[in-house]
This record gives sequence, structure tokens and C-alpha cells, in this order.
Amino acid sequence: MKPPPFHYAAPTSVAEAVALLGEHADDDARALAGGQSLVPLMNFRLAQPGYLIDLRRIEELTRIRTDGDVLSIGAMVRLSRAEHSPEVALGAPLLAEALGYVAHPPIRNSGTVGGSIAHADPAAELPAVALALDAELVVVGPQGARTIAAADFFVGPFTTAIGAGEILTEVRFPRRDGGQAFVEFARTHGNFALVGVASVIETDGDAVTRAAIALSGVAPVPVRAAAAERALTGTVPDDASIRAAVDAAVAGLSPSGDAHGSTETRTDIARSYLRRGIELALTRAQDRR
Amino acid sequence: MERHDVTLTVNGRTSTVSVEPRKLLVDVLREDLGLVGTHIGCEHGVCGTCTVLRDGESIRSCTTFAVQVDGAELRTVEGLASGSELHPLQDEFWDKQGLQCGFCTPGMLMRACEIVEQKPDVTREEVREGIASNLCRCTGYQFITDAVCAAAARMKAGSTETTGAQA
Amino acid sequence: MTTVDRPDAPPVRTHKPDRTWVGKSIRRVEDPKFLRGRGGYIGDMTVTGMLYAAVLRSPHPHARITGIDTTEASAAPGVHAVITGARAAELCDPLPDFGPNPAAHTWRCLAVDKVRYVGEGVAVVVAESRYLAEDALALIDVEYEPLPAVVDPERALADGAPLVHDDLGSNCAYERTFDFGDVERDFAEADVIVTDRLRWHRSGGQPLETVGAIADFDHATGALTVHTNSLSFTSYLFMVAGTMKIPANKLDVRPLPAGGSFGSKLFATKPAVIAGMCSREVGRPVQYLEDRVDNMSNCDHHGSDRVYEVRLAMMRDGTIRGIDIDTVEDYGAYIQFGVGHHGNALAQVVGPYAMTSVRYRVRAALTNKNQQGAYRGFGSEVNNWMLEQMVDKAARELALDPVELRRRNFIREFPHFIPTGNVYDSGDYDAVLDKALELSEYRHWRDVQAKAREEGRCIGIGLITAQERSVFSATEFWFWFDEPGAPVTSMPESVTLKVDATGGITATLYSCAFWGNSPETMVAQLVAEEFDCDPHDVSIVYQGSKNGLPATGPGGSRTTVMLAGAVEGATAKIKAKALRAAAHLLEANPDDMEWVDGGYQVRGVPEQRKSLADIAVMLHLFKHSFPEDMESGLEDSKVFDHPYTTMPSADRTDLGVFYPFMGHACHVPVVEVDLETGSVSFLAYAAVHDCGTLVNPRSLAGHIVGGTAQGIGTALYEEFVYDDDGQLLTSSFLDYLVPSAMEVPELRIGHHETPSPYTLHGIKGGGEGGRMMAPAAINVAVNDALAHLGVRVTELPITPDRLRAAIRAAGG
Repeated sequence: MKPPPFHYAAPTSVAEAVALLGEHADDDARALAGGQSLVPLMNFRLAQPGYLIDLRRIEELTRIRTDGDVLSIGAMVRLSRAEHSPEVALGAPLLAEALGYVAHPPIRNSGTVGGSIAHADPAAELPAVALALDAELVVVGPQGARTIAAADFFVGPFTTAIGAGEILTEVRFPRRDGGQAFVEFARTHGNFALVGVASVIETDGDAVTRAAIALSGVAPVPVRAAAAERALTGTVPDDASIRAAVDAAVAGLSPSGDAHGSTETRTDIARSYLRRGIELALTRAQDRR
Repeated sequence: MERHDVTLTVNGRTSTVSVEPRKLLVDVLREDLGLVGTHIGCEHGVCGTCTVLRDGESIRSCTTFAVQVDGAELRTVEGLASGSELHPLQDEFWDKQGLQCGFCTPGMLMRACEIVEQKPDVTREEVREGIASNLCRCTGYQFITDAVCAAAARMKAGSTETTGAQA
Repeated sequence: MTTVDRPDAPPVRTHKPDRTWVGKSIRRVEDPKFLRGRGGYIGDMTVTGMLYAAVLRSPHPHARITGIDTTEASAAPGVHAVITGARAAELCDPLPDFGPNPAAHTWRCLAVDKVRYVGEGVAVVVAESRYLAEDALALIDVEYEPLPAVVDPERALADGAPLVHDDLGSNCAYERTFDFGDVERDFAEADVIVTDRLRWHRSGGQPLETVGAIADFDHATGALTVHTNSLSFTSYLFMVAGTMKIPANKLDVRPLPAGGSFGSKLFATKPAVIAGMCSREVGRPVQYLEDRVDNMSNCDHHGSDRVYEVRLAMMRDGTIRGIDIDTVEDYGAYIQFGVGHHGNALAQVVGPYAMTSVRYRVRAALTNKNQQGAYRGFGSEVNNWMLEQMVDKAARELALDPVELRRRNFIREFPHFIPTGNVYDSGDYDAVLDKALELSEYRHWRDVQAKAREEGRCIGIGLITAQERSVFSATEFWFWFDEPGAPVTSMPESVTLKVDATGGITATLYSCAFWGNSPETMVAQLVAEEFDCDPHDVSIVYQGSKNGLPATGPGGSRTTVMLAGAVEGATAKIKAKALRAAAHLLEANPDDMEWVDGGYQVRGVPEQRKSLADIAVMLHLFKHSFPEDMESGLEDSKVFDHPYTTMPSADRTDLGVFYPFMGHACHVPVVEVDLETGSVSFLAYAAVHDCGTLVNPRSLAGHIVGGTAQGIGTALYEEFVYDDDGQLLTSSFLDYLVPSAMEVPELRIGHHETPSPYTLHGIKGGGEGGRMMAPAAINVAVNDALAHLGVRVTELPITPDRLRAAIRAAGG
């Protein structure tokens, strides 16, 4: 299991990287972030890019900063750094919690926030977090920078709205109040999740004023549990109403099955973890008040 | 064939090697630098057998191109002992039988090294969760956990003396 | 039951009461090199001029190969050779196969006319690096004509199934029914007959190091040197030589440490043959080291894959009378070890229970999957699981306490011959059970379980009592046939001990190098016990096949017992010579002398004494101080043959003694089942083992924990899943789930020691016990957790999918 040959460059600026990407488009050029998803695929020879543009030397992509109510994380910020960043804990506790579920520490020591989101694995944690927090994804291409809403970003399994010649440079998470919780079910510790649930629930002390819940692993892209969000909003949730909200959301799901879980089992697990996620977020919403 | 110069400081010794960009770090360590203590288990980042420390943090050297760590400071199992004196982790792995076939051991030691260096007062539960990043097929992990906990206690106490025979 | 003439059992031994080193948890003598990353594994070795091989694997489960174009690959950078299956068939004979009718399901190192499973090799590239070899693989153009695949073993046996081997004319490679004891009577007289259908899916050893070989063929001499991490080649080198069509005395197999085996590196002939064939073709040393996908899809060592239909004849008081087992085993596309896996099951088919009859029907199905080999337990772990599920079901149907039902049936007199003819040498199952009940806090957990159930939580306790056979004889591989092709009876193990001129002791071991167990530590402790030295001062070396002595290698938990016998025998020869030498030097009568603390002295006169070093230096350097017939030096060897084998009867109503040293264990996992997700977690786990006298308790405990971890994998996580079309869905560690530290609970381990009457110090084997117990215990625990809901799981591994399906079916 050895990767196929490729050309390599490690530019020091986004502009240079975008230029290289354009120059070598015919060579199937790709950006290389931490490589924790791409390199295994190359070792299996399932991915064979002809040119890799390593973003590791681009300083500006490694910043974490807070501008008012927005937490911005550079695409090349390593997962473990984000996980332990006080700014992330404050600005996006959901993200901090979810990062603890991404594979294992040695993977998180190399993997990056941008890499994980741009890879768009339907079972991955960060895309669901981005969706639940209404994150904005900043991409830069030959025509300059543009911003894509998370809801428009994930278009299929391993497919995003990043255009040809563009590089994901930054992820912006708006600060949310209320309770935030990330829960997931994986068959073994650190393995790919069958179902992940990212929940952000705000209350006025009793009633839910806003609910944003995203699921991973149940569809080709991360999806919002819109029916559950609607059912919860404006109510004072109790066990029965939470179950009803969960059932409403799960009714719309038809996760595809594989060796680790049939459609029915994945649906069962989604039902269970959706409830657990909502309950945890509600508890935290109460605790925060 | 395109080659790149890569400068690595491994266990305190700096070398520059000229490699194809596709060459995996683990192969550069083993083939170009002769450090065969870092083993290859799965080559897709799951088993942790190839774990080394980059700037003090554990990484999978089988899913890292050597060009990606140009300029980095690396530590491998060969850097743990000083001369005839074993590192407390090695010594406790020996004392507690934290190994059987020995194949996962170098990666496990390096991961354990990161754990105890980052958190000198690490708990047994944290050790178990910490080493879950690395697979061992022989031990069932229990004696590895014993060894890491014992080494952490010794390192915290500031002792680097070995308890047993020199090896 | 037909009586047979049993040769006498070996003499009952008196064991040394006070032992210095045997029984001590010393630091393993193997470890320092591994701790420093200097293990010297196959991947660490380079030979000048070495090239690298990579195998092109079939993407099809079943297809005719209609053409292979290697032109582009042969011209690729760094490529030295491309060998197709057709060319390989000219260069090499078929691989050795102990199965029935080997000519009807010929097994070769690369597929020739058709591929029979996903992963089967169709061509091999030799290049200057593994990178370049893999580049060239992508350039080989193979034309396949896909054929319908057969994946399910029972469908494979049905009429009209696609044939895996056309020459065989059927997918049934073997079928036979054995009756032991009066099965008809036991079932006719039974009060209750408990029946079930059980399904055990395939998993495998999956050591973290794959299998490999470096071969170096010398055209000048016709000699082939093979360095390999495979096991057991000292005895079986003729298998590689035969396949390579070279004289066996031109082959030297040099063993290297194995980074784990668990059975999966036993007789791994294929990598050695591929490397050897490539080296002969290119005239340079060639390394073939499997990558992980090779090892998962093409290793020839997947584990058992069985369907059982079982009937248990029970009396209302809980007495088990007999068992009727009908099993279909899915062997995959080839059948290298025949149905030896079922011979293994028959060694302990009745477990620790005194039943009087056994019917055993086995059908071996061929399917489009990688073939079976060995995996820790070798088929007897499956039997343990099956039997304990049946006993547990019987307890529920008869409304008897599962612990008491087991106890009621325990065998208590030893040696005990089970209905098949195998012997249980010794045991004390009550003592093990009592210790396990205490260690596991069984009563406490029953209370916890009852309280939890009121809160709707599903906690289960999985007590099982089962056997761990050790030290196999080869008869288990051929008693299946009335006229076996090779009714072999030798399975020796050898040790050479050399005392050098300074009195230092070196032990030479044969048959393989280290593979994760502790052969060096075992031998060092045994030698130290015999010679009163420090085990860490004993030097251990491994010998290649060229200068080897007869040796069988590891398997069936035989190593420690067999090495102990060889050490004892070699020691006796050395001590006899040392005694004579010492007596001569002291001008004393040998009969008046005794061995005391590392030397010989005149009984009662400590001043009249020669230490081993004194004797050794004289024997090495002072020839003229001794009688003329005394040769210089102090070294000797012992080829130790299996100590207790008896032949099967001609009519096969008695299979004879072939696995005589019977260990026993009681495992008690406590699990909680999450009904919503179908996941299982551990609340506690206790295990008590009786493997006779312990040599190094910590090492044995390590095997128990490690084997249990693998058993947890088998019970809950690990499975080679082939879909209905024959595609392997779990060909990486992303999908084949090896348990991590978070899936394996901390074990409480207890030891009980019932010495074997027939072995040195009373040692029995103990390397496989954890995996032989855990799947059974965990399945019983899960069923115990769900019994009140009417849910019973009969299929392993117990995945969320299977558990949820069972819970859904029960309305949950």
C-alpha cells in the first residue's frame, strides 16, 4: 500500500497556492492540508492527484481569532489545537466537544479543521457542527474570496461547493447562546460514527426559542433535523414531546445501510442519539441560565 | 523523478535526505535513516504501529509524507533510552509485561510518552482512553495500562532510575 | 462402544515440591530488544541487492481469467519481472494441501485459469521498491469473465450452486458422521431434548505484522535461503521445497521473530513460495511482505465459519446425557488443513461435562472466500461457544440454575476418557468454579442485575465453564479418513543445551523464532530451575532449518509443555556427563554424589564439590584429565516426542488420545445491553484458569487478557463480511474492527493449579484460553441480559445490527 507519484509544492501564501492550483489544473492538482483523509486514500490508490499543493507553510491559515460574535478558524488550524483552544471553548463549545470525537489524538495532531470540512465525509463530525452552527466557509479562488453558507456547502458525499481552482481558507462560526451538545455512536472508540448529532438549543428558561440540530451519518450529506427543530421550538419540552420531535425527524430519514448497520439499525440509533443529544443540549441550556 | 530535500531532526540528530514527494515518513525513517524501530502495521492510519512524535506530538508516520514534516523535530523509539539506561516507560513495559510480540510496542511507547509528558498526573482511565489510539493484538491493553501508569508515577516523582537490570 | 487396546498412559510423575524459578513472574528475557525497536522483524531486514514483490489481487469473487497483458507493466520503471499465474504454474507445483482430494481443488500461489475469491493473487511484480512494484501492478491488464459466486455455505451445498472447483463436481469437500457411545439410547431415554441453530461468522488473527519472506536463490549452487516470520518450517520445509521443485537439502529456512501470529502465520507457505519463485526468476534476493489488504483478503488464515444444528439430550434433573451436532463449515475456496478444525473440537467436545454419547456430523463447504487457516482455538473455541449456548438454553428450558446445572454434570474423576476417546488428564472444575464465583462477586452482580431490571436496564451475567485442550497430536488431521494419505504420528520439539567453558548456558530452539509468546523466558526459567542459575543469564538462540533438529513449532498450546520435556531430556544427558566428570575429578563414586545448588558434591561433604563451571572448563579444555572415552565439551540435545498419543481404532468409534493435557476455565463477564442501539458494554469481567503448574504467572495472565480481548473482538466486533455477491466489505482496519483499550474491560484474573500427572512440573498449555472462553461467555451474558424480553442471540459477532434485529423481532 504505497501512494502513487505526484508533484509537490509548499507555497507560503494563499495567492501562490491558488495560482499553482490553476496552473496544474490539468494535472488534477489538489490542496493538501493535514492529509489524514487524503493520504490513506492515496495509500489505497483510491485517490491519485497528480499535483499536491501543501498549505502547511501559509501562516495566515493557522490563525484562530474572535471578531465580535464570530469565531474564525483558519483552514490549517490543527484539530488538536482547536480542541484545546480557550477561544474555541468560548466561541463554539459544540465544536470543541465534537473535536474530541474525531478519530484519535495522533490523527487530530495532524488533521486540520479545513481539511476535515473540505473532505465532506458524510459520517464526519465537523460538517455537522458547521451545519448546526450556521457556519460560513470562506473560499479563495482566482476571482478572489467568497463566502458559502454551510447549508449550501455540502453537496454530496465527499463533494462540496468549493469550485475548481478554489481553496477553503477559513471557517466562521457565529456565537450561539443556549445549550450545545455533540453526541455520536461509533462501534469502536474513535472509529467512524454511524450517527452523530450536533444540537444547539436556546430557551427562555422554559420554552425553546431556537433549535438547530444537525445529523451526520444518516444521509449523503449532513442534514438538519428540521422536523425536530420545528416541533421543539415554542414548546416546553418534556419526555413525551422530545420523543415526538425525534420521531418526526427520524420519519424523514432513510440512511443507507452497510456492513456496520442496516437502514433500520441506523434509523434506530439515530432516534436514540437524537433524543440523547437534545436532552443533553436542553440540560446545558438550563445550566447556562 | 521529482525529488525534494527534506531536513529532519530525529532524536536530536539532523539529516537532510532527498526523497520523492510521495515517500511516506515511515519509509524515510526506516529506509533512508535506518531507524527500523518504527513499524508498519496498516498503512491507513488506524493501528498506530507507526506512531512517532513530531514537535512533541504523536502522529501517524504512515499517513504523513516526509515532505510534510520538513524542518520538524521528530522522536522515535530509538531516542527513548539513553545508552544502557532504559526510559521509565520502557522499563515499566518490561516489568509489567506490557508487550508480547513487541510489534506495536514502539508506537505504543511513543504515544504513551506524549500522554505522560502532556499530563504528568494522568489517571488510569485517561491512560486507557489515551492508548485507544493504538491497537495491540497481544496484551488486551491491561498490562500496558499498568506500565504507563507506573511510569507516569515514576516520572512525576522525578526519578529516572531503572528498577531492574540494565538492558 | 468399541473397546480398543490403549497403550499405557505415561508414568505418573512426582513433581518437585519446591521450585525456585518455575512459578515466578520474572521479567521476560525476550523484551529488551523489542523495547528498543530492535526486534529484527522481517521488514527490518535488507539483503544486498534485494528487490520487492507486490501481488495483483483479484477484484472478482469468481471469474475466468481470459487474458493477461503484462507488456506495459514489464516496461515500467524499476520493474525486473512480472509473473502471471500461468507462468507461476510452470515454475512451481501446487501448494501443499492436507485436505481430502487435493487434486480436485488444486491450490497454487497465484490463480491460473480462474479466480475464486476477492483478493486471490493473479500476478506478481518484482521491482526496485514496493512503490514501483505497486505502480506496475496498476499497468497489468487482466481480462476477466465473471462467474456467479457462491457465498453462503449452506447454499453452496445445495443442488445447482455454482462450483468453486469444477474438478470436484460439488462444493462439498468432505462429509462424515461419527457416533461415539450410545447416541440413540441417550436420546430415546432423554426427558427433554434441547435444540438450537447457531451461527459463528468468520474472523481472523490479524496480527499487527503481516506475513512475509525474503528469498535468495543461488543459481550457482541451486540453494534457496528463505528468511521468514512464518512458523514451523523446521519440520515442514519439504513443503516449500516440494512446491519450488528443489531438493529439500538445498533449502534453508531461517526464522525471524513474528509480530504476532495467533495461528495466522502457521505454515504460511504461499509468501515463501512467491518470494522464492521471484528470486529464482530474477536471480536476486526478493522480499514479499504482505500489506494489510493482502493480509486481510489473501492470507489463507481466516478463522472458523460455522453453522450448527444441535440437539442436547437432557434429564429433568439437569443431567446431560448426550449431544448430537450437525455442522456445516465454510472453508472458503481451498481447504489446506482439511477438517482438522473439527478434530480440535472433538478433543473437548463434551466440555467439562460427564455425558456419555456424542454424534458429530461435519460437512465442509467450499465457497468464494479466502480460505481458512488457524486462529487461536483452531475450531475448539467454536465448540466451546456452541456447547455453552446449549447448556445455557437447557438451564432456561428446565428452569434450573445455570451454575448448578453445570456443576451437576462436572467430571470429577481423572484421568477421564470422553466418548470420543480423548483423555482429560486432570482437573478440579469445582475449585475453579468456586474461585470464579468469589472473584467475580457473582451474587453481588445478581442483586445488581435484579435492581437494574426494575429500572429498565438490561444487565447480564455470563458464567461459563469450559475446556482448554493443550499439546496436540497430528492424528486430529487424519482420523477423518478410513484410509488417510499420511497417518503421521510425529510432533516432536527439540532443545540443545550447551554449557560453555565458563559454565554459561546457551539453549538452542528449533521450529520457529519468537512469535509473541515467551519461549525464551519459558526455556530460561526451566533451564534455571534445572541448573540453579539466573534465568536472565541463560542465552537463547534460534536455529534455521538447515542445521535444525526435528521440531513441530507452536500450535495447540503445546510449546511450553514440549519445550519443558526437551529441556528436561537435554538436562538429564548433560547432568549425567557432568556427574561422571565430577566424580572422576573428585575420585568419588558417582552413586555417592548429588546435585546441590549448581554443582555436584559428595553427599554430606560440601567441601568435596565441583560447580558446573568447574566441570565445564575441565571438559572443554582438559581432555587428558578424563578417561579416554569421554568426549570434550558439555552439550547435548533432546528430541522430545509427544508424550501421550494413542491411535484411533480402525472403525473410528474411538479416536484415541490426541489432546491429553486438559486445561479448564470459568469466565464471568457482566455486560449491559443498550436496547436502543444494540450495543454491549462491560461492567465487570472475571476469569479463572487452570493450566496446570504455571511457569510465569504474569505471562499466562497476559495471554488470558490478550486472548480475552480477541474473544471480545470475535463476540462483538470482528467479522470478515462478504456480501451476497462475494465482495469483501471489511478489507481494512476501518471496517474490520479490532478492539481498542476502550472496548476491553479490565479483567480480574484468578489462577488455579491442578498439575498434570504426565508432564514436567505438571505444566499444561495455556496460550489460547482467553479466546476459547470469551465468545461463549459474552454470548451467554448478552442472552442473560435479554432473557426477560424473550430475546436470544444465536449468531456471532453480536453487532448492533444483529442485536437490534433480534430486539425489534421481540417488539422492542
